[in-house]
Amino acid sequence: MRQVVAVLGLAWAALNVVVASFFVSGSFTATTPAKEGILAQLALLTGGGLIEVFGVLLVWQSWKLFGRHRE
Amino acid sequence: MRVLAALLVVLGAVAGVGAAIVLSAQTVSGVQPWSNELLDNVVFAKAIPFVAGLGVAFGLLGAHLANRARRTKHEHLRRFSRATVIGHWTIAVGFLLALPTGVWQYLGGIIDVAAPIPLYLFYRVHYIGAAIILFSLAYFLTYWWVTGHRQLLPPRGQWRHHLRNFAHELPPPIGHRVGRLLRLHMGGRPSEVGQFTYYETAFSFPTWAVGLGLITVTGLVKAMRYTVPIPGPVLYGASTLHVAAMVLLVLKVLDHLRYVFARWPLMVAMTTTWVTDHYARVHHPGWHRGRDESEAA
Repeated sequence: MRQVVAVLGLAWAALNVVVASFFVSGSFTATTPAKEGILAQLALLTGGGLIEVFGVLLVWQSWKLFGRHRE
Repeated sequence: MRVLAALLVVLGAVAGVGAAIVLSAQTVSGVQPWSNELLDNVVFAKAIPFVAGLGVAFGLLGAHLANRARRTKHEHLRRFSRATVIGHWTIAVGFLLALPTGVWQYLGGIIDVAAPIPLYLFYRVHYIGAAIILFSLAYFLTYWWVTGHRQLLPPRGQWRHHLRNFAHELPPPIGHRVGRLLRLHMGGRPSEVGQFTYYETAFSFPTWAVGLGLITVTGLVKAMRYTVPIPGPVLYGASTLHVAAMVLLVLKVLDHLRYVFARWPLMVAMTTTWVTDHYARVHHPGWHRGRDESEAA
């Protein structure tokens, strides 16, 4: 069961990291946030960066859960 | 109380089914020349009071069942009530539907791409997820109100105590910074952990409450924009805060999963309601010794 949950966690985290990379890369290149102004661009950059950090932490924790058999 | 709770659930269910029939009839009648997106939005807005009412009715039922549950299990402690477990997984389904579809609507605008399936289907799934979340919030608020469970929040006057111990639970470099930032007295030994860790009471649950409250209020404003006149600046503000709350909840889900994956018995407790006596003794000694006489939350 742990392995199944860990794989689901890995998939969720990976999806979030990919989405966050679009947030970060699009923050100063996409036209929509550029129209909204610097605050919107910074918010996108910060939000995307935080999601990437927390996503990587979940990848790490899911990997540890995958390798753990008994507590 | 038992009869009243059952009666309210039946009334709520009847009202919900009635609303579903009326809304379906209006939807398929073809009277209004609306697009799929607008139609879904109006149906969702009209369904809001019924969904919330159903949540209240089931919350009453959950509280009644939780109060009646007295079963014990050898060498185990009940951490959550069955009503909490059901509510938790219900809202999790809501998140699973509403968050990815909400993120896609936002992301699609940023990177300017269209999915191979029509956008209104994303909105439709988003509204279904939002309705489940709204139901769950009404359910939990009613459940906590009736049962009086407050263990997931610091008691009145003990916020600084919980924040101080939360800072102690963090990795030292981060904990010291948090302590300095909040001007906490960090000396002495941290207090024993009760039914919930200080991370859960001082940080995790309050931020869930803020995120869910913000996304619900702003979501309701957005949903009702075609049924109630809403000033443009209010709608703009609600839309901006809705996205901010979405990002906060994306972070919360990631952090929540990270936290419970590292504490597998808590995952087990959120499905079976039980934690082992050994786990409670080691990780929640205050609760295990009965120093805080908390019931299952």
